[in-house]
Amino acid sequence: MHAAIEALHVCKTFGAGHRALDDVCMHVDHGEVLVVMGPSGSGKSTLIRTFNGLEGIDSGQLRVLDIPLDRDAEPRCIQRIRKRVGMVFQQFNLFPHLSILDNITLAPVRVQHQQRGVAEAQALQLLEQMGIAEQAHKYPSQLSGGQQQRVAIARALALKPEVMLFDEPTSALDPERVKEVLDAMRTLASQGMTMVVVTHELGFAREVADRVVFMDGGRVIESADPETFFTQAREERTRRFLSQIN
Amino acid sequence: MHLWSSLRRHCRRHPIDSIATLVMLCLITWALWASGEWVITAADWSVVHANLPLFAAGSYPDPERWRPVAWLITLIVLAMATLVMPSTGITAQRFRLILPWCWIAMIPLGVGLLAGGFGLSAVPSHAWGGLSLTLFLTCCSGALALPLGVLLALGRRSDLPVIRSFSKLYIDLMRAVPLIAVLFFGQLLIPLFLPMELEINRVLRAVVAFALFAAAYVAEDVRGGLQAIPTTQTEAAAALGLSPLQCLQLVILPQALRIAIPALTNQAIGLLQNTSLMALLGLVELLGIGRSLLANPAFIGRHLEVYVWLAALYWLFCTGMALLARKIERSAPPLGGHNH
Repeated sequence: MHAAIEALHVCKTFGAGHRALDDVCMHVDHGEVLVVMGPSGSGKSTLIRTFNGLEGIDSGQLRVLDIPLDRDAEPRCIQRIRKRVGMVFQQFNLFPHLSILDNITLAPVRVQHQQRGVAEAQALQLLEQMGIAEQAHKYPSQLSGGQQQRVAIARALALKPEVMLFDEPTSALDPERVKEVLDAMRTLASQGMTMVVVTHELGFAREVADRVVFMDGGRVIESADPETFFTQAREERTRRFLSQIN
Repeated sequence: MHLWSSLRRHCRRHPIDSIATLVMLCLITWALWASGEWVITAADWSVVHANLPLFAAGSYPDPERWRPVAWLITLIVLAMATLVMPSTGITAQRFRLILPWCWIAMIPLGVGLLAGGFGLSAVPSHAWGGLSLTLFLTCCSGALALPLGVLLALGRRSDLPVIRSFSKLYIDLMRAVPLIAVLFFGQLLIPLFLPMELEINRVLRAVVAFALFAAAYVAEDVRGGLQAIPTTQTEAAAALGLSPLQCLQLVILPQALRIAIPALTNQAIGLLQNTSLMALLGLVELLGIGRSLLANPAFIGRHLEVYVWLAALYWLFCTGMALLARKIERSAPPLGGHNH
């Protein structure tokens, strides 16, 4: 059984010679919750963005859901991956000109060619799960940050993805709002979703993650289960990072 | 009482400001009084009320004059309906669905009523004139210039070098040339390029010239709107599996056009006013009617009345356009939570 995501010796350099990803080898199994941590500029956002083709790789092998994402990946391959992989961004990125309901039903209707009625019913159900069903007919600018992020999660879930990618989902939120989003993600994890989460939330990593990966300077420094990671980290850099954010 | 005391307080604090305001108020009152007096007593408005049919439809054949007038009235009614349409609620939803189609239908309706066909007798385009011709030119050129401008704006941002260069060249060229030159080119030179049998009527030549000119300006307005959309919108749409075309059509363009509405309104108002240039090129639209009336010995010397009347008409329709644009902006969902 292949892993959901497999990266082998992946490298990526940005224009000015800055190595964003340096010989990254990692894998994510189906149903696993992987948390990626690291200082800013460590390449964790770049890595997660290569998983759905928002960033291309320069060398190495990358397979997402058994579809290869090499250096010259075809747009059609990337498209197929994006229909099965959902992504939640730091800045929510909701479509401001559409209502919440339209935001969520846009992709199911246009990409998966679902009937509008069916898509709307499913959207309302997802909003119900996120606890914001009453906001369905409002517009993103009328919602708080926490509510917007939950809509973003619902929007990604509407396509029934097999893998969910979270790029610092709570970094742009007020501390009071962080909890509601983390709770939503916790529920998602308990339902068996394969998740890759880039975050600084130690509590979430400790309680929900199956594995924690530490990145620095584009390299994977350490990978371990949460218990080992937070109490007996092997690498010096990892221990330094943990002491800084604790 | 509260107003009076705060006014006195203001005058005491800003004496120069108060004196200047008083002087300006006196000047404005005097100007309004003088012009009002002229309008009511000294002016001879017979040139206007004797020629209302001419101002409305030019030298359209008399028995068929109801056609351009009917189109004018339908246009005005549609504009009023759009202005009083409620912004929220169930009726608004239904209105929102049919109104854009009503507006689009005005163009074939105009062509049908003005040109003839479908049981109505054909009227050649050189007989069209007056306000109906002005508005017809504006609507048709605008309807053509908008999609053309959007395509040019997208072409300017394209990855394909040929399309990008062509779009840039077209926009730069059209913006460097005065409109009157483009209109001259359209009226006088295009027929030279066409085979003898193909006779394009003057109104069509004018519409094409206006549209090609305005498209360059519309393209830059739309490009401004496109630039205001953060790339994260494209990323979010792409991450959902939308194709680049779907992303453009469903996410980017709706937002960009909404942002460009103020600039596009400017273009539309400018287009309406620029139709008056056709008076120099043989089309007897509103200004053309005014000038030909002044050449009529019966109305010698009535320049002030004619031009004041024309100014009032242009003001009325330009303001109408501005109000419609504001209505469209208000009824659009709030982008980023600003209050208009």
